[in-house]
Amino acid sequence: MTSSFLTRIIQVLEVLSSIVLAAMMLLTFVDVIGRYLLGAPVFGASEMISTMLALVIFMGLGIANARDKHIVVELFDSRIRALAPGFYDVVVQGFSILSMCLIVYVLFEQAIETAHTGATTIVLEWPLAWITGTVAVLAALSVVSQILGLLTGANQPNKYHLEDV
Amino acid sequence: MTTALIGFAVLLALCFIGFRVGFATLIVGFVGFAMLRGFDASLAMVGQQVFHDSMNYNLSVIPLFILMGVFIVHARISQDLYDAAYAALGRFRGGLALATVLAAGGFSAVCGSTLATAATMAKVAMPPMRNYKYSDRLASGTIAAGGTLGIMIPPSVPLVIYGLIAEQDIGLLFIAGILPGLMLVILFLIAVGITVRRNPLAAPSAPPLEPARRKEAIRGTLPVLILFLVVLGGIYSGAFTATEAAGIGSFGAAVIAVMRGHLLTLGEWRDCLVDATTTTATIFIVLLGAIVFSQFINLSGMPYDLLDLVDEWELSPFQLVIFVCIIAILMGMVFEAIGILVLLVPVFLPALQINGIDMIWFGILVVLVSEIGLITPPIGMNVFVVKSVLPDVRLGAIFTGVLPYIFALVTGLILVLIIPQVATFLPGLMR
Repeated sequence: MTSSFLTRIIQVLEVLSSIVLAAMMLLTFVDVIGRYLLGAPVFGASEMISTMLALVIFMGLGIANARDKHIVVELFDSRIRALAPGFYDVVVQGFSILSMCLIVYVLFEQAIETAHTGATTIVLEWPLAWITGTVAVLAALSVVSQILGLLTGANQPNKYHLEDV
Repeated sequence: MTTALIGFAVLLALCFIGFRVGFATLIVGFVGFAMLRGFDASLAMVGQQVFHDSMNYNLSVIPLFILMGVFIVHARISQDLYDAAYAALGRFRGGLALATVLAAGGFSAVCGSTLATAATMAKVAMPPMRNYKYSDRLASGTIAAGGTLGIMIPPSVPLVIYGLIAEQDIGLLFIAGILPGLMLVILFLIAVGITVRRNPLAAPSAPPLEPARRKEAIRGTLPVLILFLVVLGGIYSGAFTATEAAGIGSFGAAVIAVMRGHLLTLGEWRDCLVDATTTTATIFIVLLGAIVFSQFINLSGMPYDLLDLVDEWELSPFQLVIFVCIIAILMGMVFEAIGILVLLVPVFLPALQINGIDMIWFGILVVLVSEIGLITPPIGMNVFVVKSVLPDVRLGAIFTGVLPYIFALVTGLILVLIIPQVATFLPGLMR
């Protein structure tokens, strides 16, 4: 049950993040081509790309948190974990969850504040409260996937972080 | 300064225990800031930074260049690059190892990931080197070291992150990385030459490539070369910003992959896009944590205390840079590139700027130092990646094998230190 719920969340996030990242690539490309070949760049492209960046980051976090694909200093961690694996995982993952909760909280605070001030993006005049609110919801979802990952064991330590740069 | 030092100590302890680097920096920065300014101020600061930086247009360059690298890996272009490099250098002694260096340099130029370069080259270059009885030490060491070129030759994510922290133009940094990157390729080729001369048995001769395969390989490599020239040419000429170049680059890489018979199904697209998305997320967590942590460090006054220390010790600007490089080398034994940039640069930024250091030059130096860290014990990430792809090669053999390349990297570092123009000449033409 828990496992299938996590799988479903990840599947949805994978599809949505793929669409947004592909759109971000196409928009950047079309904007440049439009500017040089047609003399007409896409209106507000940079604001759209900025918004997409935030969406990509926090959708990606939902996937990365569930699988614990975060950068780790691999010097003593495996030896310390070997002492009490269950306790170690709860403490380390609990710390990560706590950190994400902080991010969720500050993003919701930002969303409420921008809703009160009625702030918008400069060019497209998109309401910032909606953007920040969406990002905060995605961040909250990533916490859910993080907790489910811990419960289902989907976030077992990943020894070689090939995704690192 | 004491508060900041305690913060650093706690952060290092958390990292060594195994807490995720990004989350550890975020929480230590948040708590440290709260201790100095209060809880509410710290919450407001974290909110501002997370909100502002996750919507920073200039940082869109990161997912787009990562996507370009993922598409290039998916396009299976490495075999053609390797064969084309062998066609050029195969006639020399140690030709297969020389080709590995050249192909790794070429792959880095469109991939941008050191670890992906090392993993890919391990799969492509190791089988022929095994067939022709190259020593495991030379073969695996060359692959691990070749991968490090990815972080200097643009596009490079560490250079983007440095640009953000040090408030430097990302386009200029990319252009600045070209000559040092080429210099390192040459130094690595010399390192292979010296190794093979000292121990000819390490690299028995191998036959030349068949003419038909040579043509095919060169033809397969051309689109990659064109893509590299378009991306960097666009930045250099001012036609594109770095973000736009990344968009063009990722689109071009997708076209190359499709032309080579890949990315033909939605599943393949999704795999690549998800790979790039999760990598972006992990990098941004480190980045956001770093920004929060640097706010705490700045508030603690540590950078200005260090400035006073520099005055007290009467360090010249050059001595200061050497001092910072030594610290970076020590940090490189434990942290990878992003960790070094995140922890080191904000602390020394005011001292370096006030002493008139060219921050583009310094960026190249610090990234070059991070390259050394990728292949030095106890944590040489590239060495571990090669080991994971080639489990039958002893870890000791790979660490011994990278020694000549560590000397080459140190030589490169000294050259960039004493001849800053290696890094500053091309950006100087753009300014």
